[in-house]
Amino acid sequence: MSLIKKISIVLAILIAAVLPAIWPNPYYVHLMVIIGIYAILLLGLDIVVGYVGEVSLGHAALFGIGSYTVGVLNFQLGVPFLLAIPASIVVTAFFGALLALPALRVNGPYLAMVTLAFGTIIQILINEMTFLTNGPMGLSIRKPVFFGHQISGADYYYIVLLALVLTLFVVQRILKSHLGRAFEALHDSPIASDCMGVSVYGYKVYAFVLSAGIAGLAGGLFTYSEEYISPNTYNFELTILFLLAVIMGGRKTRIGPLLGAIIIVMLPNVLSDIELFRTIADGIAAITVVYAVYAVAVSQRTVKQLVLPLIVTLGLAISGYVMENITDQRLTIFGVMILFVVYYLPNGIMEFLRGIVLKIRPQWIHRHELISEHGDKQHVWSVPDHPVSARGYLLEARNIVMQFGGLKALNGVNLQIAKGTVHGLIGPNGSGKSTMMNVLTGIYKPTSGEIEFNNKNITGATPASIAGEGIARTFQNVQLFGEMTAIENVLVGLHHTYRHSLLDVVFHTPRCRKEKHAARVRAASLLRFVGLIDLANEEARNLPYGKQRLLEIARALALNPSLLLLDEPAAGLTAPDIRELIAMINKIRGHGITVILIEHHMDVVMSICDTVTVLDFGQKIAEGTPANVQSDEKVIGAYLGGSVQTA
Amino acid sequence: MEILAQLIVSGIALGMIYAVIAFGYQLTFATSSTLNFGQGEALMLGALVGLTLVGHMSYWLMIPLVLVFGALQGVFVERVAVLPALKTKSEFGWIMTTISLAIIFKNVAENIWGHDDLTFPSPLPTEPLQFYGIRVLPMEILVVLGALAIMIAVEIFNRKSIYGKAVVATSNDRDAAGLMGINTGVVITFSYALSSMTAAFAGVLVAPLTLTGATMGVVLGLKAFAVAIIGGLNSGMGVIGGGLLLGIAETTTGYYISTGYKDVPGLLLLLLVLAIKPAGMFGKSVIKKV
Repeated sequence: MSLIKKISIVLAILIAAVLPAIWPNPYYVHLMVIIGIYAILLLGLDIVVGYVGEVSLGHAALFGIGSYTVGVLNFQLGVPFLLAIPASIVVTAFFGALLALPALRVNGPYLAMVTLAFGTIIQILINEMTFLTNGPMGLSIRKPVFFGHQISGADYYYIVLLALVLTLFVVQRILKSHLGRAFEALHDSPIASDCMGVSVYGYKVYAFVLSAGIAGLAGGLFTYSEEYISPNTYNFELTILFLLAVIMGGRKTRIGPLLGAIIIVMLPNVLSDIELFRTIADGIAAITVVYAVYAVAVSQRTVKQLVLPLIVTLGLAISGYVMENITDQRLTIFGVMILFVVYYLPNGIMEFLRGIVLKIRPQWIHRHELISEHGDKQHVWSVPDHPVSARGYLLEARNIVMQFGGLKALNGVNLQIAKGTVHGLIGPNGSGKSTMMNVLTGIYKPTSGEIEFNNKNITGATPASIAGEGIARTFQNVQLFGEMTAIENVLVGLHHTYRHSLLDVVFHTPRCRKEKHAARVRAASLLRFVGLIDLANEEARNLPYGKQRLLEIARALALNPSLLLLDEPAAGLTAPDIRELIAMINKIRGHGITVILIEHHMDVVMSICDTVTVLDFGQKIAEGTPANVQSDEKVIGAYLGGSVQTA
Repeated sequence: MEILAQLIVSGIALGMIYAVIAFGYQLTFATSSTLNFGQGEALMLGALVGLTLVGHMSYWLMIPLVLVFGALQGVFVERVAVLPALKTKSEFGWIMTTISLAIIFKNVAENIWGHDDLTFPSPLPTEPLQFYGIRVLPMEILVVLGALAIMIAVEIFNRKSIYGKAVVATSNDRDAAGLMGINTGVVITFSYALSSMTAAFAGVLVAPLTLTGATMGVVLGLKAFAVAIIGGLNSGMGVIGGGLLLGIAETTTGYYISTGYKDVPGLLLLLLVLAIKPAGMFGKSVIKKV
């Protein structure tokens, strides 16, 4: 972290600390406390919404669980502040897990609905379980007493500020660690993530539980701040407000949630004052009109594009004079704001500001941490996590049938891969080669048949656990983590080498630093091996196609596989590149890694494969040494379309 | 035993309403893989507009007008919330925009019709009929028949007419249908119109049995989603099974446990089905190709 950044953080905290002295009015102090509490929750919500990329409509309920944990513990049992707050984190994280374990098997709109259902259930339970929660009557508690001193509203501001700074710190540490990288990876390409041993489901649950714990902390703090809680606070409106705040402030940033919290807390105050609202609405309308005239004049936008925003903003300004009371329209205004943000500010205020800075001072913006390790030859290779114990065949697939509806993409295929060989898998398009890859790596569950790898039955195991056993792969349609740099892609492959816990991450222990450094050296060495070290800090999506394929190989090797599946690695490569690829595959075999190679370039197949299996229409039609297979009648028939008699 | 039979009968009427709303979810999901999170609000608006119209005309005359209103409302939702998000291929986008339209509709309805629940005059006699000691409201029979009628009408339209073929083609493969000269954009808009229309119709069917108000939509929409999931978002008539299951579960819970908890079984069922078989009890799971 640069010195300027450190100084500005310290300054920001100091300014926050003197704010109550500037505005001693208890009303303002209370608003700042609420902003702080919401900001804590939003930092957690951003893990789910920003990093994992899922919509949670259950965070108001999680907030409520945190609130009620403190409320019930303190009201019914008199548990003190310092015990009640950690309890609210733990209990809410537990409920988060309870929701996440079933819910995160689905995604997108399903998850949104499930979390909404969860939110509704929780609200019903809080209302109905009167013996605990006092039902709709609500609970009253007092702020804590420390050393005989009753904490006042102003004192409480500092407690919330401390909690906010700690949350910021912890969240920042987690998201900058291998965990944050895993969250981003699974959002970017779930399939690749699973095949790199980073279980999409597992890490989604992890992210959700973390997020829930943070929501619990916010909820607990909220109870002590308000001193009275009732079920109606934690409704659908609050959930929408939280989501609005996260997307408006800016996802995947730490400042975004702070901005978002300020906006959603101040907004109702703005809306309660019709005069202020009129001024703001007029201002926005004026700015939009000026911008529209300018944009049309310099032909940056067409009139058509600007009609809708003009109508909306002018309508807003006019409605300010028509309405006498604006609080009744509150939800409509939130709704319009969400529409506006989704369409015109999809990445939030922070990303918008960044875009402006990027135009003026591009060198100020670093989207990725620059990793400067160089790597060397001796760190390229490592031993597999599970040593190879099989003798003879490393992998045996028996009678594999894979059926899609009525079509048998694989029909009783047997495949035996000898240890330490390069095994070619060829066949015309649609013969089932890639389906076989997907069955072997667990992406498809075979309709019948079984697979034994390294003396272990892996039929039906998840892709992540198969990757953990030591099968790595590349993809026919490149599946890189496009928004990550090349070296970060490889680091995801090295995820399994990070053995330290969440606490190590938060406290940055020597163990964590050591593993982090080792992984970086290894990643750089792997990039050097495939010849991409000069492009280490380039975003993967910007690499040319051929280099993306090589990057996939580096990432797959990071898994320390004992079996490597290469799906058409030579596609898109130039002739000199192909020669290098052949040398590379030979080196990989030289280090004891067994390779299955799907390839259409016959020269590649013939020059490096020890054994070749030919598939056609989902069945094995030939197997043997390259030379034998090449002269096989059936194979020639399959490729060149021989007649029935010759086949 | 008689009580249980009574509860089942009441549950059937309720369940059919869920089935109709869930059917609406299926319509849009088929054509565009999107859902209107404001489906419940479409129902609520239908019921409230119907209530206003009923003051000036008979119940039966009001229904076609409400259907037209529902269709227009669906077109509005599609144009404002779904179409721009489909263009940018943003799933997050349409989830958020349909939710935001839902809260806008709710807020507008509150401002027009007030915060209190209103009673909807019943077009049929409110004296229950007796069958072997089980009391059935004539309105409940109308709900079941009406719900079945609209679902069958839409299905026949989809299967028999050339426009319906376009809908089916789009739902099978949007890109291929587009290449075959079907204007898939219009088909999607149309599916939203149909979807909101069925919801609005469900609104005027259920309104005489329950109370009508701006907040009636939220939970109905959510529970209908549970039904859509149980039935499978892709499987046509599974929603009827799902709807009946949920409707009966709800009336029995309301009676045997507490009315406060009556919404819980539906929501729990939603969680359970997704945990065990995300494609739904009647749906078939689709293998995602890599």
